[in-house]
Parts: sequence; structure tokens; C-alpha cells
Amino acid sequence: MAELRKRGLITAVIYSGPFLKLGKAQARTFGVPELPLLEITHPLGGISLDEVRARAAQAAPQFADLVRKHIT
Amino acid sequence: MSTLNVLMKAPGAGFETDDDFESINELYREKGWSDGLPVVPPSAERVARMLDYCDRPWDEPVGLVAPRYGAATPLRLAANAVMAGCRPEYFPVVMTAIEALCAEEFNLYGVNATTHPCTTLLIVNGSVAKELRMNSGHNAFGPGNQANATIGRAVRLAMLNVGGANPGAGDMATFGSPAKYTFCAAENEDASPWEPLHVELGFARDVSTVTVFGAEGQHNVNDHESITGAGLLKTMAGVVATTGANNLYYDGPPALVFGPEHAATIAQDGYSKADVKKYIFEHGRVPLGALSEENIERRLRQWPVFKNEFVEAGPERLIPVMKSPDNAYVIVLGGAGKHSAYIPTFGATRPVTRPLKRRDGQLARSVEDFRKP
Repeated sequence: MAELRKRGLITAVIYSGPFLKLGKAQARTFGVPELPLLEITHPLGGISLDEVRARAAQAAPQFADLVRKHIT
Repeated sequence: MSTLNVLMKAPGAGFETDDDFESINELYREKGWSDGLPVVPPSAERVARMLDYCDRPWDEPVGLVAPRYGAATPLRLAANAVMAGCRPEYFPVVMTAIEALCAEEFNLYGVNATTHPCTTLLIVNGSVAKELRMNSGHNAFGPGNQANATIGRAVRLAMLNVGGANPGAGDMATFGSPAKYTFCAAENEDASPWEPLHVELGFARDVSTVTVFGAEGQHNVNDHESITGAGLLKTMAGVVATTGANNLYYDGPPALVFGPEHAATIAQDGYSKADVKKYIFEHGRVPLGALSEENIERRLRQWPVFKNEFVEAGPERLIPVMKSPDNAYVIVLGGAGKHSAYIPTFGATRPVTRPLKRRDGQLARSVEDFRKP
């Protein structure tokens, strides 16, 4: 992910709440501290398929915004 | 000016403070540089004494410690070894353990950052274990031995301070485990009826090694009744055959630790280590129906490790915990008593063994081989 970011591709990491610190630390470690982190509701494991779809629905517009900002 | 003094001048390499145990420990707690227990202040003098047992440049890393991928230089590791309470002669074992943990197949990132409670189990083989008076007998996984206690602790401190495996940031363990403070012992080679682990893995008997596992704490196997090898192995297989442990779902090998009395009975009945593994492969199995419907649908029927083996399987179909007949590590450890132990692992990790080796490539026969002339 960090490599893709460094090559200029639009990239983001999707995380659930408790993993924000880990995501930020990893982004710094791999030299992309500005890597966008898109939050979804925790947890992602142990939920129904409908709930998984709801998480995707949370992430999708955030990523669309990211792409939009990148191309405008 | 010594090399150490030069290195200590590098930004962030050291700091000056009052030489006072309480205030230094307070500072370390504030900075988050401890495992929560008091540490021995890593003064330049103490770090220098630790580095007496290091034959490589003190700024030359033995690996990168995940999840921060911090450079595991001898200088940094020595500071953590001092903090843990290591005697200087333990340092080559600490260095070798860290080198093993940083091997790609170990997956230290996963082991440290996961929500699973795994930790790093270190098993030491060869003459160095006796030289350092490591405990391989009664209570070997418990308290009471300086080498066992502090070598394991030094590794944990290095993962915290060099690797950034801090709770809630680089270490996302739901519970963690008391074994995360230290989990280190020597194999009880003298009491084993089989070849020691390092010999089984291809090393000469007089070579010393460290084997690292991304392990849970051990689950006891109590059997005071069985008087045959088959009986004892059946009990071990019953403990291995459990749902919820990662080894059922992944193909990383678990550790089967036999107390010397159990090992003697098993070997007396003609079982080699290979036979033991084959038995556990064949009998350490969980019926598909023991898992929840959701687990079956989402994991067993779909995960690549199972290669679609269970797509059409019914509830009686048995799932092997070991994914091949040789996919386990057999170790003899502990003192008297009718106990053995099953040590499940993170699963997405493979044990790694490294010999104690000088920088010039020579295998060490003693920790004194690492001393500078």
C-alpha cells in the first residue's frame, strides 16, 4: 500500500475504530504519514453479511471523496 | 573515545539524567519504555558490559523489529537486556533470538500486532543452556531462574522499545498473556529419550541454538493414569483437538511439549518423534460438526489453507489440527510429574531456529566465543 502511494496511485487504508493508532503508526513506519485512513464502525469480524455491506457503504463514499479530490 | 561513547553521541541514542533508580524508573514509565515492571537503569557502563559479549559492530542491526521495523542494533538490544536484568553473558542468546524473530517466515508483524494473545516462546538447545544455567527442569516455564526470566524479558522489551509493539498501538492483543512478560526455557536434553530439537533440525549436538515460536501460553496435559505410549498420546491428541485455537485454521505448526516421564513412557513403547507427530496428525482432529455453522460456512469451506476440502463435508468429517504428519515440534522439558503441554501458536507463523554464531560465521561453542579479545 505504501509503495503504491509513493508511486502516486490513489490509496487509502480502511480501519475500524480501535485500529487507528496502529494504522497511523504503520503509515509513519512506511514513510507515508499522510496516507488517508478511512474509518468504518468496529468490529468487522463476527458480523452478519448485511452488517458487512453496511461497513462497505460507510467506506465507499469516503473513498469516492478521496478520488474526487485527487482528480479535481 | 570508545566506540560506545561515539555511538552514544548520536541523536536519540542516550540522555543524561540523575543516577537514581526511582527517578529513572519514573521517567521510563512516563515514556512508555517499560513492560510495567521496574527496569535496571541502562547506564553507559552497564550497556558497555553487556556489549562485551557482542562481536559485531554495535550499530550493525541483526534485523528489523516489527511492527515499527526498528533496527535491532546491538547497542539498542544491549540497553534492553540491561533493563531486563540480563547478565552480560546472556546477551548472545538475546541477539540470536531477535535475529530469529526477524526472519520473514516468523511473521513478527502478525505475531505482535494481532488481537490474538500470542507471544514469543524461546527454546534454547545445546551446551550454552547449561553454561548459562538455564532451567530446563521443574518450573522451567515459571519463575526462579535468572536466565529464563531475563532473556525472555529482554526480547519483550526490545519488541516494545525497538519494535513499537505497544499495547493498543503496535500490539492489538485483546487480552495479551502473562507469557508476554517472558516465555523462555531450555530443552531438557538430558531427560529426553529422543534427539534434542536442534539435532532433529540438522544441527550438530555441540552447537547451541535458539528456536522461536509465535506461541500461546501452554495448555496442560495431565495424565497420571495412562501407562502406555498410546494412552498418553491419545490424551495429548484430545487436548490438541480443540476448536478456537488458531492451529485448527492455519497451517503453522504447534509445539508438543512432553514432560520427561511422559516422554520416557512414550519412547519405551517404541515411538520416535516422527511417530509421535504422525499419531497426533492422525488423532488430533476436530469433527466439522464441533464448529458453529458460521465457522463452517465462512472459514472451513472457504479458506485457502483447506483447499476446498470441506466444501461438501458433513458434520462427522474430521479436520486435522496439524496439516501434515510432520507439521509439529516435539520438545522434552520440565521436571518430575505426569504432565505434558500443548502449545498452540498464532498459526500464521512458522518457528525459526538460529544457531549461536559469531559474526565471522564460526558456530559458537560457548558464549565466551563472543567476547572481544
